[in-house]
Amino acid sequence: MDIGTVTERASPRQFGPKDDLPEEYRKAATRMIQFHANSEIMGAYLERPFIRQAPSLDRKLAFSAKVQDEIGHGQLLYRAAENLGVKTRGQMLDELANGEGKFLNCFHYPMTEWWETPMIGFFVDGAAMRRQATLKKTSWEPYAHAMDKICFEEGFHIKHGESILRELATGSRKEQELVQDAFEEWWPRILQFFGPTDDQSTHHDFASAVGLKTMGNDELRQAFLNAYLPKARKYGLEIPEYPRINEGEDGRYEVVEDDLDWDEFWQIAKNDYGPGRQQIDSRKAAREAVAWVRESMETPGSGPGSDTGDTPQAAD
Amino acid sequence: MSTETTGLGTPEDLTDAERGAVEAELRPLADGEFVLAERYTEWQVRAPTLESDLAISNIAQDELGHARLWYDLLEDFGYTEAALIWEANPEDFQHPTLVELPLGEGDWADAIVRGYLYDTYENLHLRALEGTSYPWIADRVGKVLAEEDYHTQHARNWLSRLCEDDPGRERVRKALDRLFPYALTLFAETEHEAAIVDMGIRTESLADMREEWLGVVVPHLDSLGLSVPVSEDGEVLVDLPDQVGTDGSHTEHWPELFEEFTHTYRELELGEPPRLLEDPDEV
Amino acid sequence: MIWEVFRQEQRGKYHTHCGNVHAPDKEMALMFAQIQHGRRRPTHSLWVTPREEIGEVDAEETSFGGTTDKSYRWAMTFNTDEDFAAEIAASQREQEAAERERAERGDDAEGGGGNAEGGAEEGESA
Repeated sequence: MDIGTVTERASPRQFGPKDDLPEEYRKAATRMIQFHANSEIMGAYLERPFIRQAPSLDRKLAFSAKVQDEIGHGQLLYRAAENLGVKTRGQMLDELANGEGKFLNCFHYPMTEWWETPMIGFFVDGAAMRRQATLKKTSWEPYAHAMDKICFEEGFHIKHGESILRELATGSRKEQELVQDAFEEWWPRILQFFGPTDDQSTHHDFASAVGLKTMGNDELRQAFLNAYLPKARKYGLEIPEYPRINEGEDGRYEVVEDDLDWDEFWQIAKNDYGPGRQQIDSRKAAREAVAWVRESMETPGSGPGSDTGDTPQAAD
Repeated sequence: MSTETTGLGTPEDLTDAERGAVEAELRPLADGEFVLAERYTEWQVRAPTLESDLAISNIAQDELGHARLWYDLLEDFGYTEAALIWEANPEDFQHPTLVELPLGEGDWADAIVRGYLYDTYENLHLRALEGTSYPWIADRVGKVLAEEDYHTQHARNWLSRLCEDDPGRERVRKALDRLFPYALTLFAETEHEAAIVDMGIRTESLADMREEWLGVVVPHLDSLGLSVPVSEDGEVLVDLPDQVGTDGSHTEHWPELFEEFTHTYRELELGEPPRLLEDPDEV
Repeated sequence: MIWEVFRQEQRGKYHTHCGNVHAPDKEMALMFAQIQHGRRRPTHSLWVTPREEIGEVDAEETSFGGTTDKSYRWAMTFNTDEDFAAEIAASQREQEAAERERAERGDDAEGGGGNAEGGAEEGESA
């Protein structure tokens, strides 16, 4: 199939592993899904300390389940990416460990206290959910299938995040102040979640043309603000003056892009931001520390799951 | 609620002695599950593969869920979750020290060996509770046991997998050498032991459970090429640690862990831990 | 040799098990499967896999849904409003349907349940 045919046929769940797809499509889809999968892993890595720091049995259970789900999403997404025949899961996980794999801007920032968790659990996950819902219509069928399962679970995640936010926002004065501080710190990063405006996004045109993406960043940012800005207000969070958000007469929001730190954003996009680098490296150390187990599993006899996805072959 | 004609009464009906014995039986069980889970969750996002990550996360949640059921029975005596966990003192906890020991980075063999030793004990323990005279425990044992089967399967499967090659077995051996003496403290008796057995709260003594446990664990480990310091006639040839947990004595690692998991609760000066789930008595 | 057959009705949907065929090799299994399983109902694709390669564990041997309360992983447990965003409402509706299904099957009298692998196989509505 050539690009012309792909573009012509591009529609929801149109292409699968049996189709003879051009390299450009397979590479673009791999890049997109690998980024998504990496983000699940690094998001989970950022949140994992809060399983321990959760302040009740129920919160601990929910947090553990949520982090577990993210790993499950990573598992699904790497498989959807692997299906394109460009990279194996092992390669993608190695790239993530080596600092070559890219992932969402928000997961490059350190998160140290419980009252910061709704910034990821509600706002960032909420933004991600907006995007993911549109990806049920992506043209790469295995990706859409992964989205079915991910979206099924994600409702729990967002409500879990909102429930923590509500608890803090309606709690003691101290809790309210802490959550406001966290919000001010995270809000600009959250606004950058959808990246710069579409005309600056290099991969957007192709991904849209072949149906991998079904909605642009501008539209998604708009949809996000429509739902989540009122939520922030509802919980008494004060929206910082900067970055400015202008509200048009048609109800559309416009974020003043110059108010955001794009140098930092692009530094992050290159995996060059210090705290993000630390996250990458400490996860790498954790991954390497259990390399011996993976090696042990891959010895004949084959273990309960393997990172390479190889099926055991009988010896010749 | 099942009715045990010969059993103990409702929480309010218990004599002080009965209540003391029930508490002494429940508290180590609840704390044991809670702290084991706390250590298991350290493996989340750090397990060897994505699949093994999902599995150990699930086991951690199961254990936490079990802890929740046992704590809830203690709450029948007027304790609160806050008092039992979040506002407690580290020395109030009665979990066996086996479960509080720190995990070395990448020491998956520790997670598996610890799980194997503890789960084998827990299985025996739960079976000794199936015929308990305290019906509130009896009602919950079945649910807990049903989930423990998978844990045992998980531990045994991994254990034999890791022992398939020499480097793996060496790691297992090291973990076993370190953990085995602590595992033996699972059977350390408290002052309530006689009462617990006499009142039928547990149908088997810790001493008998210990014999049974050794009868399962020693031959199984032996079949994997692993030896433990127990003589042929069942005599233990190693000194037990001074800290056994069930009497409130703990290793130096415990206060640190306690500090970490109570951090948020203290910082936010919470008066009570947030609840999400229905009371187990209601569902 | 027995081959299990999975049918996908149309592009983008899921392959689901629909039956089996006897055949000496994969090529012939595909050939027979087309006739037995691909003609009477709309079919876009068929998978065949050797029966003997399929591992199985059933509810007799394990407890899939869990027996203790797992409702901490259901959206319904968190009493914030889900209708402020269509995709969250949709997720919750799917979870409610899954829970009803569990309850009807009587798998879990507590109304909890579910696990990380739990998914919406039929949740294809975009």
